[in-house]
Amino acid sequence: MFDNVPLLLHGFEIALSWHHVALMIGGVLLGILVGVLPGLGAPNGVTLLLPLTFSMDPVSAIILLTSMYWGALFGGSTTSILFNIPGEPSSVATTFDGHPMAKNGQATEALTYAFMSAGFGAMVGVIVITLLSSAVADFALKFSSPEFFAVYLLAFASFVGLGGGNPFKTIVSLTLGLAFATVGQDTISGSLRLTFGFDELLRGISFLVAVIGLFGLGELVLTMEEGLRFNAVASRISPKKVFQTIAKMPRYWFALLRGSLIGVWMGVTPGGPTAASFMSYGVARRFSRRSANFGKGEPEGVVAPETADHAAGSSAMLPMLALGIPGSATAAVMLGGLMIWGLTPGPTLFVERPDFVWGLIASMYLGNVVAVVLVLATVPLFAAILRIPFAVVAPLIVSVCFIGVWTVASAEFDLWLVLAFGVIGYLFKKLEYPIAPLVLAMVLGDKAEDAFRQSMLMSGGSLGVFFSNPLAGTLTAIALILLAWPIVAMILGRRRASAAAVAAAHVERSPS
Amino acid sequence: MSAEDRTIVSRFTMEVATALGAAAIGALVIYGANEHSIGWGDAGPEPGYVPFWLGLIIVVASLAVLVQTLVQRVGAGETFITREQGKRVAAFAVPVALFVPVSLFLGLYVATAIYLLATTTLQGRFPLVKAIPIAIGAPVVMFILFERWFQTPLLKGPLEAALGLY
Repeated sequence: MFDNVPLLLHGFEIALSWHHVALMIGGVLLGILVGVLPGLGAPNGVTLLLPLTFSMDPVSAIILLTSMYWGALFGGSTTSILFNIPGEPSSVATTFDGHPMAKNGQATEALTYAFMSAGFGAMVGVIVITLLSSAVADFALKFSSPEFFAVYLLAFASFVGLGGGNPFKTIVSLTLGLAFATVGQDTISGSLRLTFGFDELLRGISFLVAVIGLFGLGELVLTMEEGLRFNAVASRISPKKVFQTIAKMPRYWFALLRGSLIGVWMGVTPGGPTAASFMSYGVARRFSRRSANFGKGEPEGVVAPETADHAAGSSAMLPMLALGIPGSATAAVMLGGLMIWGLTPGPTLFVERPDFVWGLIASMYLGNVVAVVLVLATVPLFAAILRIPFAVVAPLIVSVCFIGVWTVASAEFDLWLVLAFGVIGYLFKKLEYPIAPLVLAMVLGDKAEDAFRQSMLMSGGSLGVFFSNPLAGTLTAIALILLAWPIVAMILGRRRASAAAVAAAHVERSPS
Repeated sequence: MSAEDRTIVSRFTMEVATALGAAAIGALVIYGANEHSIGWGDAGPEPGYVPFWLGLIIVVASLAVLVQTLVQRVGAGETFITREQGKRVAAFAVPVALFVPVSLFLGLYVATAIYLLATTTLQGRFPLVKAIPIAIGAPVVMFILFERWFQTPLLKGPLEAALGLY
């Protein structure tokens, strides 16, 4: 486990160059901007930036993108607390107690609690990655096609089994993503699939275009529909109060640890940061000694979701690096980026490109420290940006989305496609079809199909290959159990406790 | 209840429509998969096999959502969108949709300028003194950023050609 230390130190040598630190700062600032602006979230922000990194070297590119991710996660909490508007879906739970605190005149305290516990959660996530990733990768190096397919199946199945919500809607979203991924030239036989004679579809449907439509345009429509009003509370940060608040942090050690554990678990399995923050808030509210104070400005109600949110965000990189399976929609976009830069995500990356892997991990330590400092320092600046009327900000975001779509492949057809995905994103969000499985399926679809068909080549067409050894058999069995889980739960007539907690947290959200 | 709060369409209707739409996409996928062999050849699944089954799962799962909706009357009487919200959505979405054909004719820079000018003056009720600098400034910044800095040419139209900006 500790063999990784020299590798990590080498990673720090890579990450600590002026060039990379500058990229980190730039990435974090862009990320905070993206996180602060509603309708422009982490997955969409990373997607918009991705085409501009095609010519960069992969280490610099991934440092820029991950830093943007950290920045976006932090920025989302700023608007939750000051404006009661979550900049990111994963910071919805932060509004429950963060905004009441700010209204009680404790904005500085709320922001400090949020950022410090977020930083703590992220650090726990990164430490878990440092300690476990190469062990997981070593283990995964033994994988061949059947095991890989079983792992993909497990990732898809866990959305259905653990995602909460309507399992049929999850399946619709997931299989639509997989079907979109099959459009274009088939990698094995070379035949053109689902193109219906349109030349524009030969390249396939880019997941980047899909993400910009689903998360960008779709979310903007929702924001407009709600008739956005920014009712800011005073956002002056007093340095003295910041330090006083930091001194109070150890009181919440239990909430920090519990939030981190929930976050790491939800990040490693593809639950993602949003589910993690709701679950952590729900659990904290139920078991806290001050549970009566939750929803009225309880610091623990800020600490719990923020810790879990960031622990999940950073630990989502573990399965992405070690197995090639992203734990969140944003990680899925980055995984797609890796493939575009010519890297093969998955265990072989640790052998072939240790500089990339450990440079990235080291940059996660530094990037989060940079992010905590920058986000505290820039609160007044970004709060001022939100005072710019949304009638200007929203059209600017729309323009940036279209430009982002164009930079993906310089294709006119993609401009129409992003509109279609915008409509899908809007409908799915309103009708509670989960969007993350669709994105994950689009990124992993080809690889999953390849693994499946290669397994079939190995076995001469027998599905028994997925049970041919204990490893593949166990993975496949768990995946099948997860797929069947919603049906089992329905028969038992009771939903999981966490789903109840999430629902309770939803109810708690004051109708505004 | 004022006219503005009236529901244009119920959630139930939209649930049904979306489930049917998803099923239609599934059917389209099945149809497309049938252009190839969907069987199980000597070397495992043929090219059409995976899309065929995916299409079938989409159809079955969306019909399951449909049946659930119809049986449990999910969202019946619930508001999907009110009149006022509908107006706001249309005011936002129609210019966005128009952005695409305009940019295909005039290029992304000019389309951005027109779009920003139209939305800030007509919807944001900005005076022209404020709106024009925004509408011209944003594409200029974009141009410097993308063409010069990132070396990523964006879609251009007749104006850029006339100015010799290729």
